[in-house]
Amino acid sequence: MTTSPAEADTDVVHAQRPRPRRGVSLMDAGPPIALVVLFGVFAAMSPGFRTFSNVQNVLDAAAVLAVVTCGISFVLMMGSIDLSAPGIMGASAITVALLVANNRNDNDLGLVGVLVAVLVAAALGCLSGLALVVLKVPSFMATLGVSAVGLGVATLMFAGVQPNISDAMLEGWAVERFLGLARLTWIALACVIAAWLVQRYTRLGRYAFAIGGAEEVLALSGVRVAPYKVAVFTMAGAFYGLAGVMVTSQLGAGLVQAGRGFDFSAITAAVVGGTLLIGGRGGILQSTVGVLLVTVLTNGLVQVGVSPYWQGGVQGLIVVAAVAAAVIPQRRRNQVTK
Amino acid sequence: MKFTSRHTAAVVGVTLVAAALTGCTETAAGGGGETAAAEGCAPEDVTLVGQVRNESNPYEASWLDGGDAFAEQVGLTQERLTYDGDSTRQQEQISQLLAGDTDCLVMNILPNGDSDTPPIVEGAEAAGAYLVTQWNKPADLNVTDYDYWLSHLTYNGVESGKQIGDALSEAIGGSGGIVALQGILDTGAAKDRFAGLEESLAANPDVELLDDQTANFSRAEALEVTKTLLTKHGDDIKGIWAANDDMALGALEALQQAGRDDVAVVGIDAVPDALTAIEDGTMTATVSSDGPWQGGIGLAIGYCVATGELAAEDIADEDRAWYAEQFLIEQDNVADFVSPETDEADFACDNLFSRSQGAMS
Repeated sequence: MTTSPAEADTDVVHAQRPRPRRGVSLMDAGPPIALVVLFGVFAAMSPGFRTFSNVQNVLDAAAVLAVVTCGISFVLMMGSIDLSAPGIMGASAITVALLVANNRNDNDLGLVGVLVAVLVAAALGCLSGLALVVLKVPSFMATLGVSAVGLGVATLMFAGVQPNISDAMLEGWAVERFLGLARLTWIALACVIAAWLVQRYTRLGRYAFAIGGAEEVLALSGVRVAPYKVAVFTMAGAFYGLAGVMVTSQLGAGLVQAGRGFDFSAITAAVVGGTLLIGGRGGILQSTVGVLLVTVLTNGLVQVGVSPYWQGGVQGLIVVAAVAAAVIPQRRRNQVTK
Repeated sequence: MKFTSRHTAAVVGVTLVAAALTGCTETAAGGGGETAAAEGCAPEDVTLVGQVRNESNPYEASWLDGGDAFAEQVGLTQERLTYDGDSTRQQEQISQLLAGDTDCLVMNILPNGDSDTPPIVEGAEAAGAYLVTQWNKPADLNVTDYDYWLSHLTYNGVESGKQIGDALSEAIGGSGGIVALQGILDTGAAKDRFAGLEESLAANPDVELLDDQTANFSRAEALEVTKTLLTKHGDDIKGIWAANDDMALGALEALQQAGRDDVAVVGIDAVPDALTAIEDGTMTATVSSDGPWQGGIGLAIGYCVATGELAAEDIADEDRAWYAEQFLIEQDNVADFVSPETDEADFACDNLFSRSQGAMS
């Protein structure tokens, strides 16, 4: 911020007007810089990493996490936590596997099956939201409970025999490529754009920010906050549902454990990207950068040839370092999360 | 509200266990001392319990089915318990069982991890319930130190890792590069199976291990890791060794998405999808521990002792903690394993230990 004052001034004048947020601050620039640095380091260290096919591979690998993170980002923006991804993804994975052409029954609903699975997931997300605003259960517990419900529903439908899909369309999503990327990757990109539009241009997205920033102020100005909270959780559920469908497409089978671990990797990605856990900061684009950071890291460590016994620890250290670097300008605010 | 009822349940549970414990000590002090199977239960009084992690795992579901098959064979029913891989829940279920009537209780248990076995063993010993455990126990916990812990059986992971390693070498014609997908690195199963692969590699010097990575026994992780390894090593990869079938199936998906059909894949566990893949010829080999047999045999050992047909003292020391036989499945014999059934003869009281491959070392 010590650069030519004239330039800084023009920036501020332009940026301040439409939005209360500052322009491109260090905090926003940190994660993209980290991404570029990390990419550069791995590319320098490993010839395999810098090939075109590996870049394709990284983007394809980021697809599911990107969709989950779209959902979780809105919840984090509100200052809530969402741990329901594993359960909701499991329920939607089994639902879609049983509704499209599969080896368990004669259903062949195709796209309608995908839609139903996403709706089931949205309903589960809605349940989290209702538990939060009606029953006043903290979001941490409400979503953990809904995750268990989702896993329970999935286990019931699973009934001991794994549904393998034979639906050409759904299998094609993972296999067929368009402009070098799997269809799933394009779906993820569409999700990111849609989520960004929601965040930027709809009341839902703006209120999500405002709730995380200062819920009391919003309530005092006469906004009924509760319906928006429920809506945000419902939307997050729908994203998890789609992610569950995507995992099913990749694995060719509906797994109860389709979403295992995605809750924490999505929260990690969002935080690495600069979305604060106390809410009111960050956003879809930041989270998406976080997703790419995490995916590049996972891929790069394998490409460079770090021993699997070391990878977990190294990965954790780099993530903590990246978050620390991203939030240093925000230290005082971040302290609130303890 | 949920809290209160849990609390009450815990208090009641503890009280019952305490009561049961006092009961035991009193009989012992009174000199009545009912040693294991001294008088024997009437067959219809025996309660059979099978406990595994969850029924959404085909292998564990088939284990419970095998238990049902044995129960039917002796005119009883098996109580099917699952604890979702949650150690606390497993212990709660066991405490509840032991708080009830334990006189003729037979339990065939899959402990969640090594450290979950000691409390189960102590509980069963105190309550006088017949116990057989499988897969997990701490190495320094000796079955022979207990009267009611009849037997512990497991499988030699080094052996199975080597079996599929050899099958893989053969499938790629004895030379070429392979990659390994390891399981959860700090589990005994993952370590043993990988040690088996290393033994196999030593015996097949022309096969080169290009890379080894962990995919934590998970199909989804194996998919991603395999994709990365395929871009890293490309056409050098001729075979993929996976420490379980779920990872092998994930690797198969990755191969399909990369348009590769020239790579041999092996796994362990014989899950149904892997058997189908072996039938189709997309997968090379897997190893079966025979889940239904495991579900039956634990109950059979307990039942034979409970009814007095087999005296606990007569079980040889090497049959108290032993390795059971496992089967390499390839395309030529896969048909025998597609719908596994239990054989009544395997559960006869004089034939219980016929699959032993020796005492655990």
